[in-house]
Order: sequence, then structure tokens, then C-alpha cells
Amino acid sequence: MRRPILLPILIGVVLIAVDGRLGGQQLAPAAARGGVQAFDEPLPDALSPRNASYDITVRLDPVRKTLQGRETIRWRNISSATTNELQFHLYWNGWRNDDSTWLREERLRTTPGRPRAARRPDETGTSDVTSIKVTPAGGPAADLTSAIRYLAPDDGNAADRTVMAVTLPAAVGAGGSVQIDIEWTGRIPFAASRTGWIGDYYFLGQWFPKIGVLEDTGWNTHQFHAATEFYADFGVYDVQMTVPGAYKVGATGREMRRTDNPDGTTTHSYHADDVIDFGWTTSPSFIEERRAFNHPKLPSVEMRLLLRPEHQGQETRQFAAAAAALEYYGQWFGAYPYDNLTIVDPAYQSNSDGMEYPTIFTGRANWLSPAQAATPDSTVTHEAGHQWWYAVVATNEFENGWMDEGFNTWAVARVLEETRRSNLLAVRTFGGLIPYTLDVPLSREVDGDRMSAYRPDAKADAETTPTFRYWPRSANAITYSKTALWMHTLERQLGWPTMQRVMATYYERWKFRHPRPQDFFAVVNEVSKQDMTWFFDQVVRSSNAFDYAVQELRNEPAGPGRTRVIVAVQRLGEAIFPVDVVTTFADGQQATEHWDGKDRRAVYTYERPARATLVQVDPGEVLLLDVNRTNNSRTTQPRAGEAARKWSLAWMVWLQELMITSGFFA
Amino acid sequence: MIIASWISGWRRVAQALGMAAGVHALSFLLALPLATLVGDRIAAQLGSSVEAGAVADGVNNDWWSEFTAQATGLSTTFTPSIIGFASTLDTLSRVLDARYPPAALMALLGAYLALWTFLSGGLLDRYARQRPIRAHGFFSAAGRLFFRLARLTAIAGLLYWLLFAYVHPWLFAEALKDVTRTVGVERTTFFWRLFFYAIFGIALITINVAVDYARIRLVVEDRRSALGALRAAVRFLWHHPLHVIGLYALNGATFVLLLALWSVAAPGVYGPGMMMWLVFAAGQLYLFARLALKLHFLASQTALFQAHLAHARYSAAPVQAWPESPAAELIAR
Repeated sequence: MRRPILLPILIGVVLIAVDGRLGGQQLAPAAARGGVQAFDEPLPDALSPRNASYDITVRLDPVRKTLQGRETIRWRNISSATTNELQFHLYWNGWRNDDSTWLREERLRTTPGRPRAARRPDETGTSDVTSIKVTPAGGPAADLTSAIRYLAPDDGNAADRTVMAVTLPAAVGAGGSVQIDIEWTGRIPFAASRTGWIGDYYFLGQWFPKIGVLEDTGWNTHQFHAATEFYADFGVYDVQMTVPGAYKVGATGREMRRTDNPDGTTTHSYHADDVIDFGWTTSPSFIEERRAFNHPKLPSVEMRLLLRPEHQGQETRQFAAAAAALEYYGQWFGAYPYDNLTIVDPAYQSNSDGMEYPTIFTGRANWLSPAQAATPDSTVTHEAGHQWWYAVVATNEFENGWMDEGFNTWAVARVLEETRRSNLLAVRTFGGLIPYTLDVPLSREVDGDRMSAYRPDAKADAETTPTFRYWPRSANAITYSKTALWMHTLERQLGWPTMQRVMATYYERWKFRHPRPQDFFAVVNEVSKQDMTWFFDQVVRSSNAFDYAVQELRNEPAGPGRTRVIVAVQRLGEAIFPVDVVTTFADGQQATEHWDGKDRRAVYTYERPARATLVQVDPGEVLLLDVNRTNNSRTTQPRAGEAARKWSLAWMVWLQELMITSGFFA
Repeated sequence: MIIASWISGWRRVAQALGMAAGVHALSFLLALPLATLVGDRIAAQLGSSVEAGAVADGVNNDWWSEFTAQATGLSTTFTPSIIGFASTLDTLSRVLDARYPPAALMALLGAYLALWTFLSGGLLDRYARQRPIRAHGFFSAAGRLFFRLARLTAIAGLLYWLLFAYVHPWLFAEALKDVTRTVGVERTTFFWRLFFYAIFGIALITINVAVDYARIRLVVEDRRSALGALRAAVRFLWHHPLHVIGLYALNGATFVLLLALWSVAAPGVYGPGMMMWLVFAAGQLYLFARLALKLHFLASQTALFQAHLAHARYSAAPVQAWPESPAAELIAR
């Protein structure tokens, strides 16, 4: 009796599997794949699987703003899937025409009614493969140049050329390998987002044809999107960059050789093991500084800073900020696995600030940077922190951007709090060039975790939505801010020692691999010894907002010397979280209730010898995602009048000054 | 001549301190109801929460960020930029960067400019005569001169509008952007921006000076044509450029000195109670100084104009003969 039912199910499962493996473009959402992936286990003698390794030779032409390159990719299929094609990222084509997916999405990031200026010709970026040959193991090379085609797996945009594919003469099965030889030319865009040139400064990211990731379910090669950009396999990189002789170079890995050429150029040869990408920068203006990071419990790291001349004097700050990440991340999560780290101080207006690549990143500095303000420190620490959450634990940023940006935002805020450096609000006036520091301390909870960015977009998207599908204007609020806030909430819920063990276990287990959300959730449950599914249901799988409030605090006579206290608390948001309700009485006593937070309202009644003076929902501020903290308490001795008087007087002086300044025109 | 006019300007302002107090009271009274409204909104948002304590005792950026997120209308202007010297930088940056005042305040600022136009007749009349004219004299002059000054203000408004609507975007959104587009050094961009501020500032000050002297000629010479007064003012600038520029520069330097003093003295974050009132008083003192300086611009320029008139007695203090114009008084004698 069972066979007729099982057979169609079995056939269906096989068809779905075959479609996923051979079609190569049909991707199941990450969350739907389930299970812990095993295809990216490290090689026995290496840190990572090293299945996508590159030998690259590239020449920069600073006059024509082009790259001329040749690369050999040694690719090994570490998935269980068989593939009959190869897919590559050609991301500079994101600026090839106005209809690319990147530019369509970027236009959506601007406020309606404020059209962007038309792109100028030098803002065009291109990546043209002029030759591609594939050599299977033990087989002859096949020239596939004429078979190049472009895919748009995410949105079907025919004008987008950021994903290239070629059909293989013979399928490559699990464990199989091929060598791919590619020649290409790239036109370097002017100060594009995260890459490009300005003046004599070049930051080159997403610059070479990069093979996609073949998973058990097929190729995972997304188009270039405005808010997401990384997912790649680990490999060994040997890259030779030829630039004008006077130019200094910084790049992923370590410089092995430097050869001066007869034509006045210099070739810089870099080598990097176990990295997912390769970024580089070059400029004749850089001032080079080196310092060693030494710590009794952590491996030493050679830190190199390529500083812009106008920022001379900020060396100590930038090194200290990077060292803070090496120290705290190293102690909390796990040691930095490479022996070098390059900090690039990017050119002003280069749009390449705050950008991470393995062992190299760009910070963000201003010519006038008040000592007590967070710039450049927070950006340098943030980008250094990406070495853990992006470069080593290599999540799929296209689909789960929150797993690197959000985790990192949370961790950086923690580092900045730990370093206890002064962090005051600085307002910038006169086109952003003149800073003025106010005596307004910034907090880890609101500013570090970026609450003010999250609050207006709290319901914008659930994090189970693939990140590249987030609404462009609110994508960062979810990716960075919401995640940092719920990670901090989780830290307060579990306690820091447990949270630290969670993150250290997650790092240790998933370093040099590609974890997915369920892998992280599994580590949390395992280490905390709690089933936190309910938590992730609320913060990751839902787009609901949290808002708990005190509805009523009432004191009524209840006989001689007794007071009946009625406390009502409310859940105004749709999201649910257990919160404490603490009532404080005039005699100093407190009553604490643990409310599961599920119902719309909870009412507590007490009969006490003293009146209640204060009631607070979540007084420990565990739930940092609560979008309205002010309504979380009620006191019988309110000071709102005092506060309002003081600040309205300050505002009045501002208004009078505005009027008097306007009087210039009368 | 420049120093003498500058000193004479201060003497004229000092002789009529009541007028400075009056215009200060005007800004105070206009701002007070709106400040009360903002205070009410702050109080309503804080409610009976414990957050209010931290907000009252110092500054609570967490609460501020929440308030800002919920703010609408007037309350959207309640930002950390109101604190201390940041307020001064913010308002000056608004002018030079052509950031228009918040929509919620446009009506108030319009009313303020209209009142200034009305009062400027009385103010200039008083500074030109250099003798007490009492309230009835002041308001009579203000009323008599209002419409011609209003016409002049309208012409000035048109010039300023052209400057801000066309010249500023051309300078900063196009020319500066073009010049600095490929500049990867912030310091260089900064100096370019300063250069463009200077160009815009010269244009702005040129209009401002021309309009100021047009006002002065309207009042001192009892002119009726605003356009005629503007032409006459331009002629005056043309014939006495060094004195006009020198005096304006000296007045500008005085303004910068005041700002420098305020940048040191401006209180930051403070507590409630007595400290709150002391800080408020310090703020009002600074605002009074700003207004006195604005009046000094008018008074010193009036002195310079009167000093340059061919008819020597134009510059002499005339005998009180209200309600005739200074020129009419002179002719009568």
C-alpha cells in the first residue's frame, strides 16, 4: 500500500535535486536549504578548503584608467553537486550602463524627488573578458570565449552583465577540478561605490573575474547589488601588480617581491593563503608606517598603515583602533589568523572608505577630527573587525548580510565601550568640513548599535528576506542596526560570559567556511543550553517592532496604613519578548514580576504599607529593540516639567539667534 | 573717518540703549510662545517617565534620539545643534550653505523680517538725529517710512532670492563640485570651499551694504523712491569704496570678535535650577550683544554717510522738531 504514495514523492525529490544540480541557476532560499553544510570543510593541511586559487598578473594604466589582466584559477568542486557550467562575477559591469541592477537599486536609495545627477563618462566601469580557456584535469584546454553569456539570476535584468557563465565541454562532478585561464580588461570607474580612482589614488575591489560559489544545491552567484557584494570560496592568491614606479601598493596578503621594470613601472608581487578575495590600493601619495601588534595571549601581527599626507598625526589613533579589534576580537572570539594587516587611509571623496577585504581595509578619517569624536576610530575598528565576520567566517553577504555587518556592528560597539575612550557627539557644519564637539556622550546601546537608524525602519524587512532584496533605503537599518541591537539584547539575555562562548564557538567552528543562519542559531542553542528559537522567531524571522509601556500606576487606600497599588503594563508593538516589571515603593522595597510579554496587557495588584513611587518595564534594558524607551516607566515624582523648561529655554536661545541671523536680510 | 564712524556708531547705539533693549525684547517675545510650545511637547513626550530626570539633570542622547524620531513640525528643530556655540555655527552655516529655515519657522521668520522693516525706519531716524525722539517720535518715523522701506525690502528680497536660488546653487552645487570633483584631499576641498564662500560672501555683502545705505538715504534724505535710494546708495558706494569697505570690515571684525568670545563662554550642557537660569541669562546677554552689533552696523554706516554729505550740517545733530525729517529740520533752520 505504501509504494504508490512513496514513488511520486521519491521521483519529485530526485527531479528537484537534479534540477538544482544541473540547472545551476535555480536557488532555494538559504533558510529553506536546512541542515548544516559540510562541503566547505578545510583541507587537512590548510586553514581553508582552498578550492578557488588565483594567479593574477595585472597592469594599471593610470592615464587611461584601465587594468589589463590575466589570471589562472585553479578551481575544485567541493560540493556534492555536478556542474556543467562555470559562473563568474564581473562586478565592474555594475557601472557599465544606467540599467545595471546596481544602478537601478542605487537610484532607489535616494529620496524620491531628488534625482541623482547624470553619470559622467568617467564614472563608467567595465570588465570585459577577452579570452577564457578551461582545462579539465588531465584534459585538453577548451577555448570558451565565444560561449560567454550573461545571467541575471536575481532579477532577470537583461541589461545587467555582472554575472558571466560558460558551459563546460564536460561536467565537473564532486571533487573534480578545472583550470581556468582568463584574460580581461577593466575600465576603472571614477570614485564609484567602494572601488575606483580619484586623483592619484586607486582602491581596487571587485576588480578581477571571480568564480562564484558552487553549493550542494547549485551555483550561488548573485548579481552585483547596491547593498551587498561578497560571497566567494577560499583560495591561495599570487598576484603581481604592475604600477608606475613611484606608486606605493597595499594589498591582501604580504608583499613577496618588488621588481623595477625598464619602462619605469614596478611590479609588486603579493601572496595570500586562505582568503576569499583580493583587494589592493595604490597611490604615490601614501605615507607608509608600520607597527607591531603584540599581546601576551595572541599571535603578533604586523600592522601597516598607508596614510594620506593630510592626516599625518592620526597614525597613533588609527593603529590603536585596529589594535583594539585585534586585541578584543582576538580574546573574545578567536585569534586573528593572518600575520599582517594593512590599514588604508582612503582619499577624500573616493567613496572607498569603510571597505573591507582580507587582511586589508579602508578606514574613514577627516582632516579635522576632534580627539573626543568617534571618527576615525570607530570605522577603523569596524573594518578591522570584518576580518572575523566576513573574511574568516565567510558568510553569504548577498543573502545574510546581517551575519557579517550586524555581528560586526555589535562587536565594534562593545570594543569601543571596552576601550573607554571618550566618545562625544560631534556636529559638522559648513559643508561637513567644520566639526564641533558637544558635551553629549554617545552610548553603546543607542549610538554604537545605531538605534536611531533602526527606529524609523524597524518594520522594513525581516532578516529572513535575502539581503539583496531588502528595500534599498532601509537595508542598512536592518542589516547593521537591527542585528546589532538584537545581538546586544541576546548578550544581555544570556549574559556576556555565555555570549562570548557562543561567539567563540561559532568562530572556531565556522572559520574558513560559509555558515548560514541556522548554523549560528544551532551554536547559540548548543552553547547557551537553551532553545532560543523563540528569540530568533521574533528578531530574525519577523519584521515586527517591540514596544512595551507602563499604562497605569495607581495608589489607592486599602485600610489603615495600607495602600493598594495597581500596575498595568502594555505591549504596544507586535513583537514579543519576556520583560521584568519592577515596582518600587516609597519604603524602598521592590516587587519584580517576570512577564512573558505575550498578552497585550498585564495587571499587577499589591497591598503594601507604602505607596508605589515608580514602575518600570524592563528596567535593566535587556530589550534594546524597544523603539520607545520613554514609555517604559512611570513615577509619582515626574520631572518632565524641569526637563522641558530647561531645554525649551535652550531652544529659545537658538530660535532667537536664528531670528537675529535672519535679520541680516532686513 | 572709518574709526570715527565706528566710534560714532557705538556712541549713537549707547545713547539709545532702549532701542537695543526693545529689539531684544521683540525677539524674546516672538520666541517665547514657540519655546513654550516646544517645552510642552518635550514634557508630553517625557510624561511621567524616569527618563525625565536624566534629561533634566544633563543630557540624554538616547532619549533625544527617540524624541527626534517621533517629532513633527516645530519639534523637529529640537536637535543637539541648539546646544551652546553649536547653535551659532548652525545658524551661520545655514546662511552660507543656503539651508533654508525649517518650514515650521518660516512664518515666524517672515513676521520678524516684516517687524524689522517697520522698526528700521524709527531706528535709522533716531541714529541720524542723534537725539531722543521718544516713543511717539520713534513709531511715527517707523510708520511714516514703513511703506517705502517695505518696497526697498521687497527689492532686496528679490536680489537675495536671485542670489540664493541661482547664484548659490551655481557656485556650490556646480562650480565648486566641478572644481573639487577629482580632489582627493579634504584640506584642498576645504580651502576651495572657503574661496567660494568668499565669492558668495562678497556678493551677499555687496547687496547688504547697498541695501543698508539705501535705507539710510531713504531715511536721512526723506526719499520716497526705493529704487532711487538704491541707485543713490550704489553711487555712494562707488564714490567712497574704501571708507565703506573699511567700516564694514571693522564692523565684521567686531562681529568675529564677539563670536570668538561666545565660542569660549557659551555654556554646553548644564543642570536645572539656578544654573539653568544663569545659562539662559548668558544666552540673552550674547543675543543682546548680537543685536547691539547689528544696530551698530546701521548707526556707524549712518554716521559715515552723514560725514560724507556735502552739506556739513547734515551730519550735525539737528534741533528737535518732530515730526519733520532730518533734512526738513535742516532746511527749516
